[in-house]
Amino acid sequence: MSGHRRRTVAEALYRVLLLCYPRDFRGRHGREMILLFLERERDAAARGKRITCWWGASVDAVRNGVGERLDAVGRRLRGAGSEGLDRDGERIGGGGMDALARDAAYAIRSLAKSPGFAAVAVLTIGLGIGANTAIFSVVRAVLLAPLPYDEPGELFVAWGQMRNRGVLTFPTSPPDFKDYQDQADLVEEMGAVFTFQAPLTGDGEPEQVEVGFVTPNFFRMLGITPILGRDFVSSDGTPNEAGVQPGSPGSLPTMVILSHALWQQRWGGDPGVVGRTIELQGPAEIVGVLPAGFELLMPAAAALASAPDLWTAMRVDFVNSPRNNVFLRPVGRLREGVTLEQAQAQVDRIAVSLASEDPVKTSAGYAVRLAPLQSELTADVRPVILALFGAVVFVLLIACANVSNLLLVRAAGRRRELAVRAALGGSRTRIVRQLLMESGIVAGMGALVGVVLAMLGVRALLALRPDDLPRIANVGIDGPVLGFAIAAAAGAALLFGLLPSLQASRVDLADSLNERGQAGSGTGRALLRNAVVVGEVALSLVLLIGAGLMMRSFVELSRVEPGYDPDDLVTFEVAIPFNRYPQPSARSELAAALRLRMEAIPGVVSAGAAFPMPLSGRVFNGRYGGEEARVNPEAFRQAGYRGVLPGYFEAMGTRLLAGRVFTEADFVDSAAVVLVDEKLARTLWPSESAVGKRFLVRATSQEPEEVEVIGVVEHQRHESLAAEGMETVFFTDRYLGGFATTWAVRAGVDPLTLLPAIRSAVGAVDAELPVADVRTMRDRVDEAMGPTRFALTLIGVFGAIAMLLATVGLYGVLASVVRQRTPEIGVRMAFGAESRAILRLVVRQGLGLAGLGIAVGLVAALLLTGVIESMLVGVRPTDPVTFAAIGAGFVLVSLLACWIPARRAARVDPVVALREE
Amino acid sequence: MSQERKRADPLHLLPLTPVAFEILLALTTGERHGYAIMRAVEERTEGRTSLHAGTLYRALARLLEGGLLEERDERPQAGSDERRRYYALTDLGRAVAAAEARRLESQVGAARDHGLLEGMGGA
Repeated sequence: MSGHRRRTVAEALYRVLLLCYPRDFRGRHGREMILLFLERERDAAARGKRITCWWGASVDAVRNGVGERLDAVGRRLRGAGSEGLDRDGERIGGGGMDALARDAAYAIRSLAKSPGFAAVAVLTIGLGIGANTAIFSVVRAVLLAPLPYDEPGELFVAWGQMRNRGVLTFPTSPPDFKDYQDQADLVEEMGAVFTFQAPLTGDGEPEQVEVGFVTPNFFRMLGITPILGRDFVSSDGTPNEAGVQPGSPGSLPTMVILSHALWQQRWGGDPGVVGRTIELQGPAEIVGVLPAGFELLMPAAAALASAPDLWTAMRVDFVNSPRNNVFLRPVGRLREGVTLEQAQAQVDRIAVSLASEDPVKTSAGYAVRLAPLQSELTADVRPVILALFGAVVFVLLIACANVSNLLLVRAAGRRRELAVRAALGGSRTRIVRQLLMESGIVAGMGALVGVVLAMLGVRALLALRPDDLPRIANVGIDGPVLGFAIAAAAGAALLFGLLPSLQASRVDLADSLNERGQAGSGTGRALLRNAVVVGEVALSLVLLIGAGLMMRSFVELSRVEPGYDPDDLVTFEVAIPFNRYPQPSARSELAAALRLRMEAIPGVVSAGAAFPMPLSGRVFNGRYGGEEARVNPEAFRQAGYRGVLPGYFEAMGTRLLAGRVFTEADFVDSAAVVLVDEKLARTLWPSESAVGKRFLVRATSQEPEEVEVIGVVEHQRHESLAAEGMETVFFTDRYLGGFATTWAVRAGVDPLTLLPAIRSAVGAVDAELPVADVRTMRDRVDEAMGPTRFALTLIGVFGAIAMLLATVGLYGVLASVVRQRTPEIGVRMAFGAESRAILRLVVRQGLGLAGLGIAVGLVAALLLTGVIESMLVGVRPTDPVTFAAIGAGFVLVSLLACWIPARRAARVDPVVALREE
Repeated sequence: MSQERKRADPLHLLPLTPVAFEILLALTTGERHGYAIMRAVEERTEGRTSLHAGTLYRALARLLEGGLLEERDERPQAGSDERRRYYALTDLGRAVAAAEARRLESQVGAARDHGLLEGMGGA
């Protein structure tokens, strides 16, 4: 079993090696080669020589694969068939391709002679290329790939703004939307969308579905055509007559287009589904099915679901709806040849005229901002991804620096060989070319290793991904990503190969052929190597400081007091079918009945519901103001509104700071009582108790309404854990109209074990009510920490790799310095220097290099950490603690890297050293 | 240099690479598949020459192209359901191998005449 598994892994790896060969050769002999290799490998394993076997096979594959490819090119140039028996192309004369083949063969032989060097160099470069390829695949899928809509460059999203209140991503009301749609003639088409949850019944089990609520032109505007049935037509959006509620008798049916997923899952892909009727808060008719994989790619600030289960054409009266009922998210397509700036100028004029008719808009600083859909979609995540990309570029640079240093050390050891070749008439270009060929082959093998690492890395990335990365599921290693890996390898080869090969080829014949040549012209080389080490220390320090800042953010984030206790708390959605409970009072009674049933379950401590729930991605904002707002509308500020049921605060574990919480008695139509959070209380009444005070809101009508504060609770983090968020007003759900559908149940036991009891409690009240979106509050909190955890893990991993490479680089340089200075050290010791002094000498040299690198790194970090500012929580990008701690840690690590070579130097036996001299 | 001329004159293909000659040697006693060729070479050289897959199949490809070898039917292996391809010497292959052996023999003879092999255990 495990033997078989090992065999498949070995086979898969060998198949990668086979990629060295031209395709037709692989096709002809590949299968036999695999069989032969597997037998060899089995024999080798039996003799405990598996590593030797793999090393040999890798060298064999690269050498013969490259040779075969070059032969194939040569044959094509000369005509087929000739020179069949020549070995390695060595006896073939003339021709650039042949010279190249000779260089390649020479380079491979020379690398095979020092497998240790080759393996370290290939792995180092492979690590760098792998990290770059993995992150580039994210850059490509998330940032670069065009949106899967028709001419995506013409699409834009329109944000409502109330600049005086700091509100920048407000939705739009139907009448405002219609004004823009009618008047902005530079816009070819404008549609609008909104998503919500609703119970789906009829033609199957009741279930809760996510509904995409769109204008009939929406899919046409995006360029999406249903694969079955038809698209929406404008008559699908004809509003009901005034006063007729959707779903009530006499209302028009809702027209529905199914998502591919729901069609498969609920109807098994039945093509006869078109024309069927379902119940979606009233009768609804299925008219079509969307193509598989359609996603609503909207910026996170729009707070919309990305994959609604079904779509309905909105029957909204765009003329007579109130202008303060804002919920639509407008998306538009520019006319061909029109720029966004031109359209923006036109929209600005319309916004000014709308504001002139509405004092609220004027005082709030109303405006509409158009933004390209593609860049807006990724605006939040772009800094994270670019910071990560910067991090992996650093890792690759450090890897190049290390290999460059290895090559310099190696070149020092090969100076005699190169000098002999120069003496025998090898031109400098020729020698440079051969050395570059070595770099090229190292980089090529590094690219192979890198692509394998990237494939594993992408899998790990997908496991770690935060939910707010749009299109991350499309991440993968495809053609362009492979192209990037190859380009990175070529760039890396030049970067780490060119300097050492130029250096190495500049040999002074007499100097090098003479045994004493060693000490002579080494200064330029040493300077270069020192500079490379300083560079790597600096680069890795920058990365580690980035990682340190993310770590501090993560700690801050896990220490945040969110204003609720996320443990032992489960949340779920019970959507209420509005057609069956049309009156707010009926919905209130239903909610009260549900609460009684749930609280009666053994193990339940308390139960309550709210709309919206913290960290649910749903937002409901309104304004509030003190007495002066009655005369001066500019004194209004923005607050988060919540509609809650009794028991909500107890269930959430939100502490009451003053006054009292709601009781059933507050849930009558007339009661205008609210709770506020400490933040609002502090803003309106900084020096007095808020309890008993009255202030203005605008929740249910166009006019300001006065409400009375009965209690103050602690502030809840609602939209994210990282940001403190706005002041909050808690209304009774009854006051807002009965929309509290997200339940919170606190339990004395593991809350998920109560689910069956909760489901039957809900079913006992109304068998058609679905329980959906079950999540513990702890899950929601973990998810809210996801982006920080993601960035921390990745930057941390890359920082650790970078530090490891830099330490190895520092060690390597010191070790070879000690080797070169052994005669000098011998002389010093012969003249009485103590080994302690020698130890200090070497450590001082190492720390000097590291110290310079650390200093450069600290300055670079000061300049660069600003780019991750938006990802940091509770810590500034120039946090002195992080800078000091990472800097000091690095000094310690450098000390370790110096220690071994220094000890070796201190133990030099002067007699031996001088004899070497 | 065309295929015809190669076929017509075995001497034109000399000298063979050591790998090619080893393969031809291994096949003089009958047809074999790749792994068997590898083992035969290993046994003859007492483990000093161990052909990796790439070296072996690249040489086989050249020998096939040159008409020195031919492929036989694939057939299943004993104790395994994998089918393998068998290789056999052609007349030309046998002639070339013989010519290479004679060439080497004359070189070795000359070496012996010059006393190069004296004192080399058993010579």
